[in-house]
Amino acid sequence: MGVSETYARGRRLAGEQPFAIVVGLVAVWLVWFLVEGLVTGRIRVSNVLSYAWDGLLRGLIVGLAGIGLSMTYSILNFANFSHGDYITSGAFSGWAVTYLLAGLGEANIGSLLLVGAGGSVFGGALGIGITTSPLAVVVGMLIAGAASIGLALFIDRFVYKPIRDESGIALLITSVGVAFALRYIIVFVFGTDVRGTTSAGEVPRVSFYLIDGSFRINAHDITLLVVAVGLMLGVHLLLQTTKLGKAMRAMSDNEDLARITGIPTEQVIRATWIVGGGLTGIAGYMFVLWKGTLGFNDGWLLLLLVFAAVILGGIGSIYGAIAGGIVIGLTASMSVIWIPSEFGRAAAFFVMIVILLFKPQGIFSGRTTA
Amino acid sequence: MKYEFVETFLLAPRALCGPRLATSHSRTPEVVRVSLLEVRDLDAGYGELQILTDVDLDVADEEYVTIVGPNGAGKSTVMKSVFGLTTHMGGTVTFADEDITATKPEDVIHKGLGYVPQNDNVFAELNVEENLEMGAYILDEVPQDALRMVYDRFPILEERKDQKAGTMSGGQQQMLAMGRALMLDPDLLLLDEPSAGLAPDLVDEMFDKIDEINEAGTAVLMVEQNAKEALRRCDRGYVLVNGQNRYVDEGDKLLNDEDVRQDFLGG
Ligand SMILES: Nc1ncnc2c1ncn2[C@@H]1O[C@H](COP(=O)(O)OP(=O)(O)O)[C@@H](O)[C@H]1O
Ligand SMILES: [Mg+2]
Repeated sequence: MGVSETYARGRRLAGEQPFAIVVGLVAVWLVWFLVEGLVTGRIRVSNVLSYAWDGLLRGLIVGLAGIGLSMTYSILNFANFSHGDYITSGAFSGWAVTYLLAGLGEANIGSLLLVGAGGSVFGGALGIGITTSPLAVVVGMLIAGAASIGLALFIDRFVYKPIRDESGIALLITSVGVAFALRYIIVFVFGTDVRGTTSAGEVPRVSFYLIDGSFRINAHDITLLVVAVGLMLGVHLLLQTTKLGKAMRAMSDNEDLARITGIPTEQVIRATWIVGGGLTGIAGYMFVLWKGTLGFNDGWLLLLLVFAAVILGGIGSIYGAIAGGIVIGLTASMSVIWIPSEFGRAAAFFVMIVILLFKPQGIFSGRTTA
Repeated sequence: MKYEFVETFLLAPRALCGPRLATSHSRTPEVVRVSLLEVRDLDAGYGELQILTDVDLDVADEEYVTIVGPNGAGKSTVMKSVFGLTTHMGGTVTFADEDITATKPEDVIHKGLGYVPQNDNVFAELNVEENLEMGAYILDEVPQDALRMVYDRFPILEERKDQKAGTMSGGQQQMLAMGRALMLDPDLLLLDEPSAGLAPDLVDEMFDKIDEINEAGTAVLMVEQNAKEALRRCDRGYVLVNGQNRYVDEGDKLLNDEDVRQDFLGG
């Protein structure tokens, strides 16, 4: 009976969920490939850990930027495509200030404020880093947050607020227009060149020898980790324990009911842009500090991953954005174990699609901002 | 005091001829303060679509008024219109002598009205206590005495204060919604089908709670599907049909009226 029953059950499963079987087989193969590689020494344990570390940090950036996107989605009911360019705007504003503070007296102020446009100043030459110029970095980061807040409020006031009652599609299309406008304003001011902001060799780091190779952590990894986790915790506390946070959750849950209980909705919307904008600008700044380069397309390219993360996590949930960000980051970085690194982003989207096929509403499905 | 108002100004002229047709409504301009809530010639709807035509409605201080009528008659639309959630097309809504026709939904609560909508009337993602806190959002601090009063009235809410509202039963959600609306101790409570979806034994309990709330001094304007029970308990009732007042009278009189029984109460 055993064999025929197992066979029958297998057939039934194959008939009902052929897709699950394919995914299962692929997963088995991936695991086997990894284990076999580790055993034979073809894949190094230390490398796997390095990829995971890289993926975690990338994921934290994506998650941090995703919180803002998710909040504006759940409270304003639209997918903001200009979010990526809020990231870039924050990064440029913050880095302009960092360059200025770190390079005052060493280069002319115009070049510094333009973040070394046209190769006029190199960030590496200014010795920018969390250990070498902590003040310039911290102030730059705060300015990045403030600039994105200002931008988000300004655009909301003059672009989104007048069409608040239109459909989500109208808002979405408008936001695509805003995205292009912002990006090319940035290009107009700062130019198209990708500049190095920190010189990788000078960031202090510690290396561990781990079984079969070394594993490095540098000061900017730690900075990113501390800032991202700190801010995520802060948002969590804001939403769960403060009156404003509860009002935000209430409004994302049921806007009409929020109105009739006297929650001033425009005020909550403004607060949402402030929190979301601030996190977004800081995410942009930290992203640049961490990877060491800055270009006008950074935010736009990151936005695709941010959207993937937010959708994967369950759009509207900040916890989903964080979890989704980490899944996406880990996938993009760790996929090089199996496939060439050019396909890292593609792998991240592929994983998103697979997860959505099983959980169409995302990991934190049905949750709103809470 | 409420009966004085009801009998003198609304019921006396047609006490002998059964419920009055609302179209024959005759006003009594010499009365200065007729009622707490006064809806006059209200036309309202959604966007281009008009649902209500010339609706008149009064609720006096501490009075208990019901609106009954067939599905889709516009009962919920009347309630929403009082709170400014519909498209206003004509007429006025006055509350405590103040014109609130154009008051924004988020400001109506400041005037002393509480509203429990028919659907989605709790914040599903918030827990019970947070829902009640939202009821007092407009105050700087959560009023502990009001919270205490709500918990005393609905002990189940205190037992479940950390539970997410969306995971509670329909009856418990209804109590939570009512508790939320009572957090500011309103002068008038709007209840849209409070007994809908409740188990039969809970229906009576719910009506008893509403009686208690009313007896404690809060005027109630209630929409009910459970028309007989509602009319039995209320002071006065309106029958709304096709977005228009059809009948208005004391609850008992409507209940015993041949036409109303035939057409709206199933005989
Ligand atoms: N949000 C809305 N948009 C458009 N039409 C609506 C809306 N809500 C209700 N209606 C319509 O208004 C009419 C009256 O609805 P409603 O006031 O809910 O009736 P009742 O509460 O008496 O059952 C119905 O025809 C309904 O379809
Ligand atoms: Mg209704």
